[in-house]
Amino acid sequence: MSPTPTAPDGVGTLAGHAFAAYLAGDRQRLSELVDLVTPVLWHAARAQGASSSTCEDAIQTALLQLVDRAETIKEPAAVLGWLIVVVKREIWRLVRGERREIGVEEVPEAPAQQLDPESQSILSERQRLLWQHISSLTPRCQELLRVIAFADKPDYAAIAASLGMPIGSIGPTRGRCLNKLRVSLGSDPGWAV
Amino acid sequence: MSHNDAIDERDLANLGQLRDLYAHADPVPAGLGERLKFAITVQALHAEVAELMESALLATRGSETRAQPTRIDSVTFSAPSVNLMVSVSPSESTEGHVRIDGWVTRPEALVEAVMEDRAVTAKTDANGRFVIHDLPHGPIHFVIRVDPSDPKVRPVITPTIEV
Repeated sequence: MSPTPTAPDGVGTLAGHAFAAYLAGDRQRLSELVDLVTPVLWHAARAQGASSSTCEDAIQTALLQLVDRAETIKEPAAVLGWLIVVVKREIWRLVRGERREIGVEEVPEAPAQQLDPESQSILSERQRLLWQHISSLTPRCQELLRVIAFADKPDYAAIAASLGMPIGSIGPTRGRCLNKLRVSLGSDPGWAV
Repeated sequence: MSHNDAIDERDLANLGQLRDLYAHADPVPAGLGERLKFAITVQALHAEVAELMESALLATRGSETRAQPTRIDSVTFSAPSVNLMVSVSPSESTEGHVRIDGWVTRPEALVEAVMEDRAVTAKTDANGRFVIHDLPHGPIHFVIRVDPSDPKVRPVITPTIEV
């Protein structure tokens, strides 16, 4: 399912509705929640630079914790942000081989985004150009833009917060990261065509 | 144009292209959603997970009106408390759908056939047999409750198969 940027409800809001319905006893709605959040969680996980299998494990653990702790989650509407936080913590726990849960403060900053050479080779010319511009941004901006690209405008602020960005770093205003990308692309005559 | 301006169509277009780039270069793995749902269901039901024992494509003779043999998929799942065998054949009632004939090693068990958008429950007869007549093709898994009246008995869940 590809998110529609103009949708009145973002993917995070829809996921919140599905989770609230699940909590109210509608068991089947959990499947809808998984479909909604999987692309965002995948890219939040991969943005940490971990292997595919580590990312799959971390996402699975986050969802199992959600089911396990469902009754204690204080804000069902904020379920997407909750999952992103848990996925990031779980990735870094796995990467370090820790046997205990790690705290949010122990989660390091995501590295600069990488694509393996094989993936780069399948990009179109325009995508390669976009990749060059993305690579010129700070790692924090790269992570933020990668994750929100898989969500909808109403979700940006909550996702930024769950990634540890300060309030106001994006949504409803453009924020520095999205502005830098816009300026960078706008100054490239090769992009304007 | 500054970072204090509202996000506009140009920004959304830039993000859309970024989404396409990552979706192309590092896509969500095929089947990840199904694997996640399965893991969640197992945990949520406190279920026992059956193993997929064998899967065979059998060619059997269809009804006399069909000259060609009908291919039937036959699959067996095994768990400590129960075994389930299912055969999949074309539905008689709906073109392009399937009929599932099943056999559970326990009579009067409840078998729930769970697909992406629906779940159908059937009760096994005195011999452990059940039939589900009309299901679309797609991924499916089964949840078996051998003693539906006792909530303390753990249900058995099968891995997802394609029918």
